[in-house]
Amino acid sequence: MLKTEELQINIGPQHPSTHGVFRMIVTVDGETVIDLKPVFGYLHRNHEQLAEVSTYIQSMPYTDRLDYFNSMANNFGLALAVEKLAGIEVPQRANYIRVLMCELTRILNHAAAVGFMINDMGAWQTPLVFAGREREKILDLFEMASGARMMCNYFRFGGVVRDLPPEFMPLLKQLMQGLPAFFDEFERLLRENEILRLRSEGVGILPKEVALSYSVTGPLLRGSGVPYDVRRAEPYSVYDELDFDIPVGSIGDVYDRFLVRIAEMRQSYRILQQVIERLPDTTGGHINPSMASIGRQKALRPPPGDVYARVETPKGELGFYLVSNGTARPYRYKVRAPSFVNLTPLGDMCRGHKVADVVVILGSIDIVMGEVDR
Amino acid sequence: MTAETPRTSNVFVVDRGEPKLRGGQGLLAGLGVVIRHFGKAFTKKIESPAESSGLFTVQYPEERLAMPEAYRNFPILLYDDQTGHELCTSCFQCERICPPQVIHMTQASDPTTGKPVPAVAEFIIEYDACMSCGLCAEVCPFDAIKMDHEFELSNADHSTMTVNKAGLDRPISYYESIAPTMWAEVRDGAMKKLQGNMKRRSGDIGIAPPMKGKVQTSAPAPAAAKPAAPAAPAKPVAAVGANMSDEKKARLEAIRAAKAAQAAQSGGATPEVAAPEASAKPVAAVGANMSDEKKARLEAIRAAKAAAKAAQEGGTAPEAPAPEAAAPAPEAPAKPMAAIGSNMSGEKKARLEAIRAAKAAAKAAQEGGAAPEAPAPEAAAPETAAPEAAAPAPEAPAKPVAAIGSNMSEEKRARLEAIRAAKAAAKREASNDES
Repeated sequence: MLKTEELQINIGPQHPSTHGVFRMIVTVDGETVIDLKPVFGYLHRNHEQLAEVSTYIQSMPYTDRLDYFNSMANNFGLALAVEKLAGIEVPQRANYIRVLMCELTRILNHAAAVGFMINDMGAWQTPLVFAGREREKILDLFEMASGARMMCNYFRFGGVVRDLPPEFMPLLKQLMQGLPAFFDEFERLLRENEILRLRSEGVGILPKEVALSYSVTGPLLRGSGVPYDVRRAEPYSVYDELDFDIPVGSIGDVYDRFLVRIAEMRQSYRILQQVIERLPDTTGGHINPSMASIGRQKALRPPPGDVYARVETPKGELGFYLVSNGTARPYRYKVRAPSFVNLTPLGDMCRGHKVADVVVILGSIDIVMGEVDR
Repeated sequence: MTAETPRTSNVFVVDRGEPKLRGGQGLLAGLGVVIRHFGKAFTKKIESPAESSGLFTVQYPEERLAMPEAYRNFPILLYDDQTGHELCTSCFQCERICPPQVIHMTQASDPTTGKPVPAVAEFIIEYDACMSCGLCAEVCPFDAIKMDHEFELSNADHSTMTVNKAGLDRPISYYESIAPTMWAEVRDGAMKKLQGNMKRRSGDIGIAPPMKGKVQTSAPAPAAAKPAAPAAPAKPVAAVGANMSDEKKARLEAIRAAKAAQAAQSGGATPEVAAPEASAKPVAAVGANMSDEKKARLEAIRAAKAAAKAAQEGGTAPEAPAPEAAAPAPEAPAKPMAAIGSNMSGEKKARLEAIRAAKAAAKAAQEGGAAPEAPAPEAAAPETAAPEAAAPAPEAPAKPVAAIGSNMSEEKRARLEAIRAAKAAAKREASNDES
């Protein structure tokens, strides 16, 4: 009679596969995971409390640091919440620029997320450099428009900080020409890869009901077969004027999430096409004239009240809950971070799998610790 | 733009492909992609990157990518190439908005009076904690703080990342070279504001440290060479009174006349009352204190304003205008000094107050007790130099105010302008002598 013994091991907080400072207390029986407890908080930066002692505009650069892959989308969330709270109109052109930036963000995030996930599977770097190539071009565009590649700080209440520079559109069109080929190539590179399929099919299954009960969002939820997308569930900005489809998975395993991300990149490409076509005809400037000066931004005193505004970032539903008491600083500032919520069912997904799969499942959630810990 | 664009939101299930595994074709397909890229690497047309795919390696330290204009790294302070004057006026806007609170500045003050001037004494940015958000550059009303493109700041010594004004100062031409269109958008406004602020600085206050000594501090000279109208000292005010219909004209008249008067060393520019004792003395005092332009200006102000002030001045300046001055203003000599201190908030406030005071006599009378409004009554008549003196000597300040009330508001303003112009002239005089 062979006697087995449970063993508790720590993965992380300093581990290359944990996507930041994240610790998993894994109870294993041999190679099989019996239990997994995520421990986070190592990257806590007090974002919410800082925002409560800062003016609204001062929080904007800090939102860049939430999910540092998608600073544009994070900016969007805060801008949307404050605009809703203070009743600020956004000109049409500003809205289209915002959508343009957010969809570019989605492409770069999904490309990188897939690349990193496959990195975790052991395909060291090759898919990542393919993803990184397109990401690089998008980051160049961000730098041109906002001044920074990752910490964009581009959005302002009522619009964006400055209009697109004249050299932006030609480069964007050049990028757009290459994107379909990139998607095809990326899929050909990975989709049918036997190793990838073996490692991902049937691994980390998150059933629909479990996903809903954990209130996960984003590609993780859609991968489980729930067609929920904030852009459609509660259309913000100009998303209700744009055509795009919602890809969903059928089983909810790692492979479905991979496919959903690839499909979402193609949908983002569709949105970008429409935005580029309409952008020259849009009305209004890049920012609401009444908010154009930074003085207005910093002196903003929304009327007392509370608001919850949410955007669909590449990682899921990013929500900002703000309570104003009529002063220049929010009374309460709460971030509903998609990475944080999506990380909670990790234990459920990993139970019964091998230790090596834990890393892949974690990679397939696509977390950024900056957003988890805030 | 049409909102009625038909939008679709189909939900589709992603195709998972063949459930069964094939014998490595997927691997080979992926490998094919890699090999194709590998092959392309040898057939790339280096000379025409547009026809090739992928990215090119930039041999970094030797060759560099062009930075987009909007690129922002760390903040820098701009100064004028020719005169070395910093654009910063220490308005503290950037310090307030900075999210990580890494900007620290102290306002420059006049060495003689302690009166703040629109310039920075020291400006420190902790580059190590700066997050390059660019809000400071955005908020700066004088376009004095801008974001640099320099990014190679890595260093073995952590303390060097706390940068002071000498380390932050860059000439405007530098910023223009890295961001030509962004500077072109704001240049005119920024330079106009700088000209306005330079008039209120003296000596080497607000000169960028690298430029100190290289530039003559005769910056505000351009205005000095106005056609001198040899008007009689008392005339300007009268003329102003006659031209009352056009306020602007009157103001101009007053300024010109006052300047001319100062230039002629008659010193009578300070209107009517203070003329006899203030006439020659302020200028003489200026001459004595030449070393510091600011001091000279102060001298002129004081002499022209009130005897009490001048009496105190006697300690520092060799000539003591005190005897004559003592008579009209029997207040304690310490009071005017306090008044100056309380005026510290700035010329703008003073001007605003003057206008307000001129509008309503009653209001001015009330405000006469409050400290910051002092310039208005002062300008009207020397006795009001110390508004605090209202309590011990109520009738003295009350009269000028009443006079103001009875006078036309434009006249009041014009008179104030005349005095201000006289001050400026004195300052200019001093700086000319200095250079």
